[in-house]
Order: sequence, then C-alpha cells, then structure tokens
Amino acid sequence: MVSAASGYECRCMFIDFFYTLKRVGVPVSPTSFLRLQKALSLGLINSLDDFYTAARSILVKSERYFDLYDQVFAHTFEGTELKEPDEFVLNDMARAMLDEWLRDPGGMAEALGRDKDELSKLSPEELLDYFLERLKEQTEQHHGGGKWIGTHGTSPVGHSGYHPGGMRVGGVSRNKSAVKVAMDRRYKDYSQEGPLTQAQIGEALKRLRNMIPVGPKDQINIDKTIYQTMKNAGEIEIVFDRSLRDRLKVILAIDNGGWSMDPYIEMVQILFNYARAQFKDLKTFFFHNTIYDYLWEDPRRIRKPFAVDDLVRLDPDTRFIIVGDASMAPYELMATDGSIHIEERSGKPSYQRLQFIADTFPYALWINPKMTQEWRYTHTINAIRDIFPMFELTLDGLEEAVTHMMRKH
Amino acid sequence: MDDGSNMRKFTGASQYVLDEELAEIVNVSMALEMPLLLKGEPGTGKTQLAHAIAEALDMRLIVLNVKSSMKLVEALYQYDTLTRLNDSRFGDSSRDVSNIEEYIKMGKIGQSFVSDKRVVLLIDEIDKADTDFQDDMLDVLDQMEFDIIEIDKTIKAKNRPVIIITSNAKKDLSDPFLGRCNFHHIAFPDDDMMRKIIRVHFPDISKDLLDSTVRCFYRLREFRNIEKKPATRELINWVRALRSDPDFRVKDLIKGEVPYLGVLFKKSADYEAAQNGVGRFRV
Repeated sequence: MVSAASGYECRCMFIDFFYTLKRVGVPVSPTSFLRLQKALSLGLINSLDDFYTAARSILVKSERYFDLYDQVFAHTFEGTELKEPDEFVLNDMARAMLDEWLRDPGGMAEALGRDKDELSKLSPEELLDYFLERLKEQTEQHHGGGKWIGTHGTSPVGHSGYHPGGMRVGGVSRNKSAVKVAMDRRYKDYSQEGPLTQAQIGEALKRLRNMIPVGPKDQINIDKTIYQTMKNAGEIEIVFDRSLRDRLKVILAIDNGGWSMDPYIEMVQILFNYARAQFKDLKTFFFHNTIYDYLWEDPRRIRKPFAVDDLVRLDPDTRFIIVGDASMAPYELMATDGSIHIEERSGKPSYQRLQFIADTFPYALWINPKMTQEWRYTHTINAIRDIFPMFELTLDGLEEAVTHMMRKH
Repeated sequence: MDDGSNMRKFTGASQYVLDEELAEIVNVSMALEMPLLLKGEPGTGKTQLAHAIAEALDMRLIVLNVKSSMKLVEALYQYDTLTRLNDSRFGDSSRDVSNIEEYIKMGKIGQSFVSDKRVVLLIDEIDKADTDFQDDMLDVLDQMEFDIIEIDKTIKAKNRPVIIITSNAKKDLSDPFLGRCNFHHIAFPDDDMMRKIIRVHFPDISKDLLDSTVRCFYRLREFRNIEKKPATRELINWVRALRSDPDFRVKDLIKGEVPYLGVLFKKSADYEAAQNGVGRFRV
C-alpha cells in the first residue's frame, strides 16, 4: 500500500496527467477520469504497467490518439520531454516540402515566391530550417487561410501538364501548390476539421439509401392479416408485404490518372470504399481527366475497358457519380482528338461523351475535390458544370449532392 | 509473456493466444462492469476473444450479429403475433392466448438479461448498424433494463453480462457511445505473436515450416495493390492446406514457389497481383 503522502502526490500526478492529455488534444472526459479513479480504488491496478493499459482503455477511445497518449504518459511518469504537438507536424511537413523541392525545384520556388537559384544555394539542412520557419509563420498568422503561397490561381487553365503528341509531362498542377499538398497530407491525420473523414462520408452517403419495396414478399402485415381474418369469419389469412430492400444502383467513375488528382486519390478512395459497403449494386469505373470512348473497370486502365456507348444498356435510374477535379487543358475536353490514348479516336470530343452520359442518366452528377472558390479559375470546370451539376467533396457538398440525387426528376 | 503471473480472472483459452495487455483490459472492464469495445482490422481475433472469455470463465456466450437494417427491439425481444393468432383460432396449444407474455420471445440482449447465470454477450460488428441503433442500445446497456411495451413490463438484468463489442473501424462510433465503453485497438499480430498463434493451432508444426510460412505470409501482406490482405484466419487455413499436401516441401517455399495462393487471396484481382508478385521473390 502507498502511504498517505505519496498517495496524495499520486493523485496530483494523475490529475496532471489527465489535463496534459486534454491539452495535447486527446478527447478525455471527466466521467472517464472518475471511472479510472474507481478502477484504482478497486485495487485493480498494481503497477505502472497496469496503469498504462487500464488508463488507456478507459480514457482513450480511438487508436488515433494512442501515439499521443504514449507521449503524454512518458512525459508524466517518466519525465521525458513533451514536444509541442505542432512541432511534430511541422517537422514532417517541412520534410515533405524538402522532398517536393528535390523533385520539382522550379514549382516549389514559384510556390514560395522565391527565386529558384537563390534557394538552390542553400544546403538541404538550411532549406529544411527555412521551410520550417515559413511554416511556423504560416500557422501563427493565417490559421486556416493557406493563402500565403500567394500564387493562388495563377493559371487560368489550371493545369501545368503539357500534352505534346499524346504524352503527358509529369508536373504539379499550378493551382495547387506542392506546399499545400504537403500540408493536406499532414493535417489529414491530425485535424478533425480537415477534408472528409470516413465517418463523415458514411453519414452523407447513408442518405443515398432509398428504401423501396422490391424485396420478396416475406414480411407479415399484422394489421391486414387481422383484418382479412376477421373478414373470413375467423379463418386465418396471412397477408404478406414486400420486405424493404436497398435497390439503389450506383456507378462511380473516378478520375485516378495524372498528377492533378494525386492529392485527392486517397480521399476519393475512402469515399469509394465506403460506397462499396453501402450499396448492393455498385459499379466502379476509372478514367483519366475526362471520359472519351471508354471507361475502365481496372484502376490501371489497361485490362477491362467498358465502352461508353454500352452505358445505355444500364438502368437509367442508376446514380452516375463522377469524381474528378475536372481540370485539364481545354482541348482535352473540346477537341475531336483530345484523348491521350491513340485508340480512343472515335472523333467525338469528350464534352459530347459527357453530355451523352448526362442524357442517359438523369441522376448523374459530378463531385469535385477542388473547393468551390477555386472553380471559376479553371475553364474546363466551368464547361463541365454546364453538363453536370457539380458539388465539392466536402460534407456539405456531398449532402447537397445526395439531396440532388434523391430529388424526383 | 502469457504465463499469466498477475492476471486475476481471464488468462486465455485453449485456442486463443492472449497478450498480457489485452487480458488486463478485459479484467478491468469486467471489474468496472463496462462494455469493452474492440477495434482492429479483420482477422485480429476480435470475435475470437469473446469466445475465449466465455470458454475461460465457463460462461455461456450469446452472440448478437448486428446487421445494417437491424432495429434495437429485435435484439431485445420479439412479440410473436402470428403464433398467438393461430392459437386463438385453433385453441389447441398449451399456451394461454389471453396472456401475451407467453408470446414474447427474447432477443439476444434479452436472453443475456434473463439468464440465471452471468453470460458473455458479444455484440459483433456494431459499426454495421446506424447511429440510432447504437444510441438506443446505450440506454439499455447503461440501465441494464428495457421495457416490453406489449405487456408493460420491465426486464431487468439478473446478472450483468460481460459485454464485448466489436467494430471493424469502417466508421467512428458516436462520442456518447464511446464514452460508455472501454476501448482497445487490437493491432495486427507481429511476427512473434503470429508464431505463437500458429503453434496453438498446430502444436506439432515443424520449426522449418513455421518459420518459412510466417515469413512468407508477412512478405505477401506487403504486396502492393492488394485490396484484402490475408489475415490470421487465412494463414491458419493456408498452413493447414500445406500440411495436408503430401507433395509439399518446405524447400519449395524457400525457393519462392507458393502453392495455394487462393487460400490467402480471396479476390481474383488480389490473387492475380499476388501471383505476379510471387514470381519475383524468394523467402
């Protein structure tokens, strides 16, 4: 047993532990803290190891915070230095920026608004420090703004890729600077406000399930059964109803090609995986930038082509959801030979194909991972918005999209 | 290790390899009478844990398999109107038609409440149900009672069941729900743990076979573009398949020939990808 004095010290330590957890952003509730006290008083916890496990299972409700918990635990009970959580994030971000710089010095220098040659003089360590400094400035001064890059929307076309002779030259889309991409990635794990989380998508997509009675007749309708039985003077007649079954058909077409979609792929993947669990009848297609003669059933877009012309054979009630940033060179959308792929030269420009899809499926719509305020800078987004209703890939955007799809045409 | 020096109640079962941490958590949850929520990727033995607890503590296990369309009342009780209607028409049953109570059947949660002995209640894959289901269930589990509206009766739990709830982490559960559970995330077993698990299932396995299969298994899990990675269950089945094949030699595996890939990879796209990948490695 512990003496009274050290017991008191212990208690203070626990309280300190609790508040440190709260301070670094682990959502801990007073109730759970009291519950931990109860566990302590029950004599269940006899060592620091026991305490570590028990306290974690009682206080921390998601594995996302396990790492933070470990750090706070080590800090409180073993006296290790607790890094400010921001430092971790910033360090990683700066490193990501360095990687980006090594891959694409020109783009990075431009994004930072600095001369490329000037930055080239710095050693990697110096660069890292420089990035870190800029990032700190950023978090202090423009939380949530993200405009410090300053070159927002420099290109009206919205894409830096070239298209000489059907080959795409790799490059980062200018509308979205590498820095911003790096920040996106980091924040995804830490922030609850960031882009869509799986839970949010689940909530939004749930609204897609429209229950319409087309299942087998295997539900007994008690009221009608009694009514019929009475009518039959007591001779039992059982009345069955159709059981409700989710029959919503969904086609997801995902733009998974090219640098411009790269930062969003993961987000889209979450959406797509979630959708798979939600619907019984779901087809997924892939395309690159925009749709020409074929959609592809395999993500690499080689093996299983699906002719766009064949879409007419599918149920027109299908919800046709296209996910893409709709950003490309205008002629990819408008020209009769816009496709990168040589075999896709039917002579029909992409915008006609899109129009065809929109005509075939009244419930078609386009979900864009780019935020609404960026749309007007990109010509092709405007052109595609004339064909499909477009929504942004946020919870709000999805909600609007779902409302749109559930509306009767 | 799992010799259980400081475990009080639950120390593992014959077919389940328990790590000390998890045993601790199970025991704390039982003592605090709190449901234990287990998350983790498929194949980490979430469901198995409930079976193991039931076996180790010699309690009955009641499993509630949650379905997406499930209403909470189905898990509590069911009023069998049809049988009652039938009885009232023909009157040849021993049941008393005027007593509705005879037509109430307990659902899984109900059964766990009325059982004379303490039971283990496994609520499997809670994340499948919608948020309403979870929130409604909270009250029931909190109060350890529910009402049967038809007969205006409250069912109180005779013994508070040991409640294990699993979630596949498809989406986060609601905060109030989490607040009432203890939480544990089961990580995918590491190399050592996996060896122990395999040994529990195949006590007489040779060291060669154990080493090479486990090593091969982790390499296979690292393949890219695999949608559903093989998990513990697949590994066990695979080892079983290899052992029952008289032509199989451990040497083949070391040379990079991996038979019965279909046992490990269940989706045809994954199977193809794995087959391509296997061509390029040696264990």
